[in-house]
Amino acid sequence: MGNNVLLVDDSSTMRKIVGRSLRQAGIEFDNIFEAADGLQALEVLEKESVDIVLSDINMPNMDGIAFLREKANRANMKNIPVFMISTETGEDIIGEAKSLGAVGAIKKPFTPDMVNEVLGPFLK
Amino acid sequence: MNIGQDIIGATTDVFSTMLMMDLVVGDPVDGAGGEVESNITAMLGLGGDIRGMLAVHCPAAVAMAITGGFLGMDVDELNEDVKDAIGEIANMVAGNLKIAFAGYDLKIELAIPTSIIGKSYRVGGMLGARRVAVPFTLEQGTFLVELKYIVNS
Repeated sequence: MGNNVLLVDDSSTMRKIVGRSLRQAGIEFDNIFEAADGLQALEVLEKESVDIVLSDINMPNMDGIAFLREKANRANMKNIPVFMISTETGEDIIGEAKSLGAVGAIKKPFTPDMVNEVLGPFLK
Repeated sequence: MNIGQDIIGATTDVFSTMLMMDLVVGDPVDGAGGEVESNITAMLGLGGDIRGMLAVHCPAAVAMAITGGFLGMDVDELNEDVKDAIGEIANMVAGNLKIAFAGYDLKIELAIPTSIIGKSYRVGGMLGARRVAVPFTLEQGTFLVELKYIVNS
């Protein structure tokens, strides 16, 4: 049994890189779902069974912070863990993300080992 | 402030961490000059305590090599993946520069990157801005990371 992962980033290249990093880190998964912004991510979470979300912060339409805020208000998805994966490292914005339910953060640029170190304990 | 060195640190960190590519670092240019012939440019606006723009200018061969490195496959045309990849380079370099500027007690905010592809274009604007540019060379050619900024008073 693997994991269902949702990657949220407006860059399709970055979504591919994160997916590749998960594989290189030896993290097993059944499905990787993708979304280009927070709005699409909410749509995926309404329809699919997702174990973990990796989300960028700076995105058009609905950014990562607004996504966390909206997700926290939906009972069917509020307990799905979200990790921020972003160039943003400031305590203010990461602190806000954590106050809205994010359980961790990975700074871009990153290596597969860094991804594994942060996500490993949360995956099956 | 040593912005040239900050650009070098920010850029080499991205390439060594994400692409495992070694860069030959050129001399920083403070002011006009140092342009490279480019086919794709990714730009990203900076706000907060400064106003400015970070740009990454790449010839096609360099941009395709970077994209191929990111995706783990050969890339032989300037397509949406290439625009996206060079945009991400700009995004990550800017993220590292944001940390460097915090060391100067300057808080900056990052916009979302935009990439353009073309054969003959010129990126202008920002009258009165300080410009610092650094050339970096890969096996496939040389690209330029350029920062233009004005510290808000």
